[in-house]
Amino acid sequence: MAKNLSGDLQVASANRLSDGVVVWLNDAGEWTTRLDLAAVAREGRAGEILLQRARAEAFSVIDPFLVAVIEEEGGVIEPLSLREKIRASGLTFDAIAAEAVRYA
Amino acid sequence: MPDTHFYRYDEYDRTLVAERVDQFRDQVRRRLAGELTEEQFKPLRLTNGLYLQLHAYMLRIAIPYGTLSSRQLRKLAEISRKYDRGYGHFTTRQNLQLNWIKLEDAPDALAALAEVDMHALQTSGNCIRNVTADHFAGAAADEIEDPRIWAEIVRQWSTLHPEFTFLPRKFKIAITGSPNDRAAVRVHDIGLRLWRNAAGEVGFEVIVGGGLGRTPMIGKTLRAFLPKNELLAYLEATLRVYNRYGRRDNLYKARIKILVHEVGVEKMRADVEAEYAEIRDGLLGLSDETVEAIARQFAPPHLPPRSSLVAAVEALRLEDRDFALWLKSNVAPHRVGGHAIVTASLKPAGAPPGDASAVQMEGMADIADAFSHGELRVSHEQNLIFPHVAIEDLPAVYAALGRLGFAEANVGKITDIIACPGLDYCALANARSIPVAQRISNHFADLARQHDIGDLKIKISGCINACGHHHVGHIGILGVDKNGVELYQLSLGGDVDFGKTALGTILGPAVTADKVVEAVDALVATYLDARIPGERFVDTHRRIGAQPFKERVYALV
Repeated sequence: MAKNLSGDLQVASANRLSDGVVVWLNDAGEWTTRLDLAAVAREGRAGEILLQRARAEAFSVIDPFLVAVIEEEGGVIEPLSLREKIRASGLTFDAIAAEAVRYA
Repeated sequence: MPDTHFYRYDEYDRTLVAERVDQFRDQVRRRLAGELTEEQFKPLRLTNGLYLQLHAYMLRIAIPYGTLSSRQLRKLAEISRKYDRGYGHFTTRQNLQLNWIKLEDAPDALAALAEVDMHALQTSGNCIRNVTADHFAGAAADEIEDPRIWAEIVRQWSTLHPEFTFLPRKFKIAITGSPNDRAAVRVHDIGLRLWRNAAGEVGFEVIVGGGLGRTPMIGKTLRAFLPKNELLAYLEATLRVYNRYGRRDNLYKARIKILVHEVGVEKMRADVEAEYAEIRDGLLGLSDETVEAIARQFAPPHLPPRSSLVAAVEALRLEDRDFALWLKSNVAPHRVGGHAIVTASLKPAGAPPGDASAVQMEGMADIADAFSHGELRVSHEQNLIFPHVAIEDLPAVYAALGRLGFAEANVGKITDIIACPGLDYCALANARSIPVAQRISNHFADLARQHDIGDLKIKISGCINACGHHHVGHIGILGVDKNGVELYQLSLGGDVDFGKTALGTILGPAVTADKVVEAVDALVATYLDARIPGERFVDTHRRIGAQPFKERVYALV
């Protein structure tokens, strides 16, 4: 659950049902793995509508919710909270590589 | 392939697990087809150990009492490669977590587990969880009896126990058979300690109401000496009292530790004994034949006594400093002369604590087959153990572990860090744990320095749920979120050694992530300046108190 960080901009996110992968709702009402393609609600009422739409499209995802984001120069969307940044960009360290160690 | 020296499923177990796999396969099919809502499906997937984390589903696989055969470990490697990203995370509850499982693959992963007598049942939910035990069980020189025999009996009793499937909250049991507790029994809902009384009889001290989490408590003795064959009836009575009186109105007050704290251990004892009096002569009494039948399955491998002094080992000890350090920290006495218990450190410098790749798992299975009668153990400190190694084989085991990257001579040292998955994976976490552990590990990587510092246990949790056991770390580190910023609260003086079990006390204000290593360095420097010969970090802290540590840390950060 995202913390209550103030942010006027919001996107709708969820985890994909089939594999749990993080997804965002785009303008076409489809779930995408690309945050840069997410539909952005730019004021409170729009956020409510976006969430309603996300819930209406929730057949293939789990528990949609709104994520506070900021828009950086060039229109790049970035989540405000660390949790959502990690959800968006993955682990913050290098996971052990499956085949990195060769047993001789 | 070597035969196993621990419990093997019988037809009943196999049928039960196979039926559950089939049920879950159908439940997953119905969920993917939209016939079940997430609200309906969530308890079903959790019952089968399937969580949803930040990035993906996570499958938590039970490793009963931390005991694994080489065949099982190879299967875990195969599953991690086929259905996950080729690695797994060994946890503080002797489980294995796979962090990238797809829902559609989960039934196949469970079916593969069932092929080697494994499952993920009761690794979630308000039930009796995987029973943990001393990771040196069946091998330790100081052991009175093998606790796994009793852990298996408890496993059979608690698996799908109809009365205890919906307890007020989850329930964790740990068992040790040694006077030197390696299973942290005083910080479990029920801890069981086998000991020998003045009459020479072996029985259990039953400890209740311990736990970590947001309200850490040290367990209290419910029964000082319980005859072994009465174990199940007494556990049943205790669970019944908890089930009846444990709070269901508040998630944070629902564990048995809160009940014991609120009513007092005397009242708890009176209620349990009253219930026990009702059922003690019932079906749960354990006959000697029943216990012996289980015990036979844990019959140790044949280990002919050998010489403990092996010329090749002594020669290598003199010429290879790191091997000499490894012998000191990673090799423990075995109950049979000429043998040893070897701990493979899953904490190489800078690596995520407790993680192993599929290749590494297969390599360790090979080592177990070649040198440890096909057996391994998972420790709650997130390492793997080879329980039965001939001393003459130690150089070969060391070399093989070195090729896997798991020969670090750091067991019990400052880089043998326990860390939960933290905010990188976990939906409950407030802060990251693994990157903090990695930075500390890299900073203190020098082995000679680690051995000079001596035994020092750092435990890191990414939230108050304390999966990283920070309350009982000599240095505990708790990640917190303050207005969107990760801060780390330091505590000192925690311990889980039996007789000395203690909860750490908070040192002072939390420090920022970039200051954690500096703060730990200051704590270590304070200890090194103040210690007297033979003192561990935690001993020095007990003697001089927190103030000198506090002054040094907060002068820096």
